[in-house]
Amino acid sequence: MKFFFLQRNKHGRIIMITWLLLLSLSTTSTQDGQENSVLRCGPQNVTLDYDSFLLKWEDDPSCSVIRDGLVYELQLLTADKPVHNGEVVVTPAQIGSTHSWKWTSHLPSQCARHSVRLRSQYNNQSSPWMQKMLPDQGEILVLPRNQIFKVGSTATFCCTVPDGESIKTMFLLNYKGANVNATKISEHVHSLTVHLDQESENWSDVICEISKGNISGASFHASYPPDDSDLQCETRDLESIDCFWNVGRAANEHPAMERIYQLQGSPCINGHSGKCSQKVEVDTVERNWTLTATNRLGKLELCDRANLTKRVHMVAPEKVAASTVNPRNISLKWSWTVQKYSNFNLTCQVDVSDGDSNTKVFQTENFGVGLTAAVIKDLIPHWDYDVRVRCGTAQHFWKWGDWSKSVKIRTKGDVPDALDVWMKVKEDQTVISWKVPLANQSHGEIFDYKVSWAKTKEKNQSNQTNVSRSNHSLTLTLDPSEEYMVTVTARNINGSSSPSTIIIPRLNLDKSEVKTSWISGSNGSFFLSWPVSPNASCGYIVDWCPVFGNCTFEWMKVPPNRTHTTIFSKNFEDGRRYLLSIYACTERAPVLLQRREGYVRETKIEGELFKLKNKQEDSAVEVSWEPIPLEKQTASIHGYILYYQDKSGDVFNVSTDDPEATSLTAKNLNISTYNFTVTALTAVGLCGNTSIIVTLNPLADQLIMLTLISLGAVFLILSVSIIICYRHWACIKHKVYPPIPKPVLTDQWLTSPDEHTSHRLHFDQSHYSEVLDVPKLYDKFRPPQPVVSQDYKTFTFSQTRKGYYNKPLKKLQPCLTLPTTGLTSQPGLPTSPINGVFPNPSYNPSYSLVMHGEDREFKSGPEVHERIPFIRSFSGYQPQSPDKTFTTAELEENPESPISCVSTYILLPQKTSN
Amino acid sequence: MAGRSTRSINGSDGSRTAPARAAALADLLHYECSTLLELFRKKENFTEDVADRRMVSVPPPSSQLDTRDKLWRIHSALLQCQKLLEKAVAKEEEELGGGKKGEYENKRKLVKERLPLLILSTGELLKAAEGTTSLTPSVEGLELNVPTNLFDLKLWVYRVYKEVNYWSKTATNTLKDLPSVIVKERARTTRARNRRSTRR
Repeated sequence: MKFFFLQRNKHGRIIMITWLLLLSLSTTSTQDGQENSVLRCGPQNVTLDYDSFLLKWEDDPSCSVIRDGLVYELQLLTADKPVHNGEVVVTPAQIGSTHSWKWTSHLPSQCARHSVRLRSQYNNQSSPWMQKMLPDQGEILVLPRNQIFKVGSTATFCCTVPDGESIKTMFLLNYKGANVNATKISEHVHSLTVHLDQESENWSDVICEISKGNISGASFHASYPPDDSDLQCETRDLESIDCFWNVGRAANEHPAMERIYQLQGSPCINGHSGKCSQKVEVDTVERNWTLTATNRLGKLELCDRANLTKRVHMVAPEKVAASTVNPRNISLKWSWTVQKYSNFNLTCQVDVSDGDSNTKVFQTENFGVGLTAAVIKDLIPHWDYDVRVRCGTAQHFWKWGDWSKSVKIRTKGDVPDALDVWMKVKEDQTVISWKVPLANQSHGEIFDYKVSWAKTKEKNQSNQTNVSRSNHSLTLTLDPSEEYMVTVTARNINGSSSPSTIIIPRLNLDKSEVKTSWISGSNGSFFLSWPVSPNASCGYIVDWCPVFGNCTFEWMKVPPNRTHTTIFSKNFEDGRRYLLSIYACTERAPVLLQRREGYVRETKIEGELFKLKNKQEDSAVEVSWEPIPLEKQTASIHGYILYYQDKSGDVFNVSTDDPEATSLTAKNLNISTYNFTVTALTAVGLCGNTSIIVTLNPLADQLIMLTLISLGAVFLILSVSIIICYRHWACIKHKVYPPIPKPVLTDQWLTSPDEHTSHRLHFDQSHYSEVLDVPKLYDKFRPPQPVVSQDYKTFTFSQTRKGYYNKPLKKLQPCLTLPTTGLTSQPGLPTSPINGVFPNPSYNPSYSLVMHGEDREFKSGPEVHERIPFIRSFSGYQPQSPDKTFTTAELEENPESPISCVSTYILLPQKTSN
Repeated sequence: MAGRSTRSINGSDGSRTAPARAAALADLLHYECSTLLELFRKKENFTEDVADRRMVSVPPPSSQLDTRDKLWRIHSALLQCQKLLEKAVAKEEEELGGGKKGEYENKRKLVKERLPLLILSTGELLKAAEGTTSLTPSVEGLELNVPTNLFDLKLWVYRVYKEVNYWSKTATNTLKDLPSVIVKERARTTRARNRRSTRR
């Protein structure tokens, strides 16, 4: 047992109390035969900040009696082994306050189980150890917490749980990086290593889960240190400095990463906007101007070395106004809010813009010390302008200052500009035309125009007329044989314009010998070029108007040094043909140089363009059309194609390259129906298709010719036949009527009739369908002279036994009638039914078979011949079969006959009077 | 959820009672708070089962509680919720704010503005139930120790939202179950007052 003895003093009572208190500070215990004194004064309310390892504690109330201070001994244990010792000396004045101890170690402490313990020591007495575990019982500890890391670094997080608990899983939340590695160190400790390859959107989390829903975690943020750049400083008022820089990526996007800016050591209020201003003493010394940017990941310093007097960025001029306004120039004045500018040599830009369109017209530059005025020239009279001014230092120019506010100024009016005049002569009519003065040419409202004209040789006798402002042309009737000079002026409130004069030549320009060549437009315009003309002292004039319709001409003037131009006109129409004329502008009348004709853009000609006609010539068809009027030619016609298609669908064509052609002929056509289509060949394809259908007629002349030829041939054959027959008539006669020997009438002939049986003569008439009357035969026929005597006793007539036929009755019925009269029987002859009239109803009574003998004529009737074959022919006789055809009868030839000849009678029916 | 987006407390029924109006307001708040919870859960990738711990301290529910006690209970809980929510929003802005204002922030603002309206309604009902001497619940004992660890702060905010969600739902049910006694009493009082006026 130890005793503390204190100094004795006069105040024995106080000493006594103190002694008692000190006695109460310690207790004595005996342990294993040893006596240990335990100090009651120790730590209480111990807290440990896990993030910083800051240990805080307070003194036990019993410590208040200690007057000479005490010491706290601390120990850090890793895995229950002391790894670090420390002590905190508490002075008497500090007793009763909160004490702290922060452990800083180079060792990676997070992933080891840590504990810290402390006790107090006083006069070789110690209080008991008070231990703080990491984590405390029931806690899940994830470390480090609330940390900010640089993008690109690697962070390791540890999850530690107390004994008796085990970690289920450890994972990352709210971070898009995928480079994560979780390691199980023990049941109570897990680690998670993340390579931070991108910036966090907000606070990301590492989660440690023990069981479902029982989690803890640590938040972190990955970002960048300041990366501002390009600091540039200047002055505007020569009393302060303005610095600008690029703020870099993602500045201040996250509250935890807010950057703090300082210029020359003074804070910049809106530094995150990349601009900072401060009041400074501006002198001519070149200095370093420094900006610092700081965030939780680092500090950046940017420098700009400059003499601010050479970095003057001027403010805008104030009170800009026109001091003098004229038609074509104005004087401007302005003032400065910064008085120090008056010492600088300045250069100022005056920006002149069109007051209506706001398009920039021009800029002028003026120089001077403390410049506050400028003159603007070359303005348009009676015109609105917007004017503004900006300036910079002429010496050590840094940059242009701010533009002043725009000021609207209108120039004063003036007389109109000279008019642009041109003419068009057609016979004795001359159209004088001038272009409407534009607003920038009229310089005020135009009242009217004055046109005066006179023969060039009689200038004194001038005529003149006024034309209202709404008209811009005048038609004059002039003598084509005279040269005239026409002058046109415009008037406004300020006076008359300069006169514009044009000379009308004697001869009509349009009748000159200039040939017209073709021109093709492109992109809605014509590009023209022509050779240089020595006459063109004042340039060239190109005019144009449509080829057909009213010629409302337009023109443009080309300076003398140019021999080409492109013509645009809002009046150009696609598919319309234009005539363009190029004139040389001379001191006298204009001279026509060239003419062109063409389309700005050709368009397809509409269908049914042609009025077609057709004309058949033999096997050809000529399709013709009327010439196509120019107004219908919306494209230039280079030729025509005639397509024709027959019924079989085959298509043929003929074409011509002659644009003046008005017909095409399709040849070698069949007698058929054809569809003819005429189409015009143009640069934009085949146009104006027009069709007609033509049916070819048979060739009538040929038919007539064929008929005539056939008839001629028949006639020839007949003629030849007749001639032959005539030549061989003797033979024929001989054959038909062989010479009959004169009968010798003897008694025997009469007595032996059996021996002189008559031969029946059969002849075939089947070849003749008609009975022809042969006049010649009639004339020439000389039947053998029958010798008929009174002695003729026996007459035998027998009908043909085999095949003796008449002609068909029906054919001959109208004309063949056997006469019932006229036949007289020979007296003395026995009466026989056949020896008289052979009634035949089909036989025309007017016709009678008349046979003429050599010396007498006899009526048809049977001839009685003795011992001679008897030939008898009866047309129309139908003894047995009236319905049957009158066919041939066999001709039984007399074997004794010298000529074997078959002859026929051909009878042509003849009309009779009855 | 989507089907509830057309909720409105502006009923066309003019005869709606004060408890019914308060119940409709509570229902609307509950709907908004559910949405807020969902948005927060999505934002922080939390599951539903984390941070399930009551923060509001009120007497336990009982079938023996009368109307006044029931009203007092939800009124007290809602007052505590309001304190928690205000703190949560402030701390979240301060510690976790990302700068961007989106749907979540708008919904949080809406819940924060709508909760006092419900508190006002329940307070009115409580006054009506207790007469002129209304005993306002105290929030002094409410634990407002906001974690310093950011992740713990997130969990804490989540718990606050859950608490607001729970008590808005409880308020809805309680107010719907309330008989219209208060209204009837008021009606009776009004009729009596009218009779008195007529006698004069």
